[in-house]
Amino acid sequence: MPLGILLVLVIGGIAGITLMMHLAGKSRVTQLTPDVAKAAWLRHVPGDKVVDVTITNDGHTALIRTPAGNGLVWSFGADTVARHLQDFDWMDHPKGFEVRFHDFGTPRVLIHLDDTERQHWHNLMEPA
Amino acid sequence: MTDQVTFPDAVQWAVPFFIAAILAEFLWIAVKGKGGRYETRDAVTSLIMGAGNIASGLLLGFIAYAFFMWLWQITPLDLGTSIPVIVLCFVLDDLRYYWVHRFGHRIRWVWASHVNHHSSQHYNLTTALRQTWTYTFTFMMVVRAPLILLGFHPAMVLFVGGLNLIYQFWIHTEAIGKMPRWFEAVMNTPSHHRVHHGRNARYLDCNYAGAFIIWDKMFGTFVPEQEDDRVDFGLVHNIGTFNPLRVAFHEWVGIWRDASQPGLTLRQRLAYCFAPPGYSHDGSRDNSQQIKAKHIALHPEDRGTPGFEHFRADLPKSQAEQA
Ligand SMILES: [Zn+2]
Ligand SMILES: [Zn+2]
Repeated sequence: MPLGILLVLVIGGIAGITLMMHLAGKSRVTQLTPDVAKAAWLRHVPGDKVVDVTITNDGHTALIRTPAGNGLVWSFGADTVARHLQDFDWMDHPKGFEVRFHDFGTPRVLIHLDDTERQHWHNLMEPA
Repeated sequence: MTDQVTFPDAVQWAVPFFIAAILAEFLWIAVKGKGGRYETRDAVTSLIMGAGNIASGLLLGFIAYAFFMWLWQITPLDLGTSIPVIVLCFVLDDLRYYWVHRFGHRIRWVWASHVNHHSSQHYNLTTALRQTWTYTFTFMMVVRAPLILLGFHPAMVLFVGGLNLIYQFWIHTEAIGKMPRWFEAVMNTPSHHRVHHGRNARYLDCNYAGAFIIWDKMFGTFVPEQEDDRVDFGLVHNIGTFNPLRVAFHEWVGIWRDASQPGLTLRQRLAYCFAPPGYSHDGSRDNSQQIKAKHIALHPEDRGTPGFEHFRADLPKSQAEQA
């Protein structure tokens, strides 16, 4: 196939499909509830014990407390991703906290926090 | 004479069909309200991975092709290009695909290339196009050497390989439940391949087939889709990025970081490169067998069921794990 036509097909196809999905509302991000977050965690760590779940006000991140330590669950498009809070850095960010995992395939999460929850999350992330 | 053999690049010619089929599946799901899920960024990432796969073929394909043409020069055999030979070539190349795919799940070096095909938590026609950019670096082209030495022309081998990939496109869907019984028995189908994309303990390391599911049945890696164990699509450790560059290279970076850490023996470094995925020198990670064993510990009732045949139902626990 001539390269020019292939390029037009590929670029046009990707752009068209993207636009169609976006307009059809397929860019919505999963809203976490305590049950959803807990189920997402257990999907990641089968058989784990969840002690407590804290969800951000925007519903996109949850902090999971387990006997073995803390973990994060966050919305990832229509799905979720979960990680133990081990081998990570976190820092203040104008919109909340930024968590950096030292993992090329899961580099960072931005936890959106409003002023009412910021201090509480600070305590959760850094237990005294 | 047959050095002048040319075959069309089937995958490139299939691009318009891919686009049309994705639109059709998307509309089908929208109208029916079932049969799969689409998400914008996930699908865009898959499509870009597909485009990058074609680009990497244009850029790096000459390496494999030069190797194949060299084999073609040294082999005394030439089977020609008749229709029965092309059909036989397709079947044998599908056997080649089975083994390359099995290596792709059992050798981390090859998994580093193949992992990205499994890196979506979705399963729709765009997932079929989420293909590797780094296949050349796995050196798995050597698995095709016997075909060419047997007298199948390299251009024909690449042509039937393209047909194989096109066959596998349509099975990446939840819109089709089961095909007719005879078809499910012989061919790879949406049902069989959904299982292959599962991260459930039961479904790890099975159904490596390309076009014919018979290879899995022959080599003992077949697991049928279970009504009571819905497939959870994706990786055991799902990645948290839609960035195509990270999707394409994350496992290669992981291999480098693991194998280059200080204080390891040479054997441990090699194991990080070539052992089954999930290897760790300190036992901090689980491979698929350990994940299955942990599942059985939590769900003893699954012992001996499909995907857990090695954990025999009739043996006490300690014996069963060695069986
Ligand atoms: Zn695979
Ligand atoms: Zn697949």
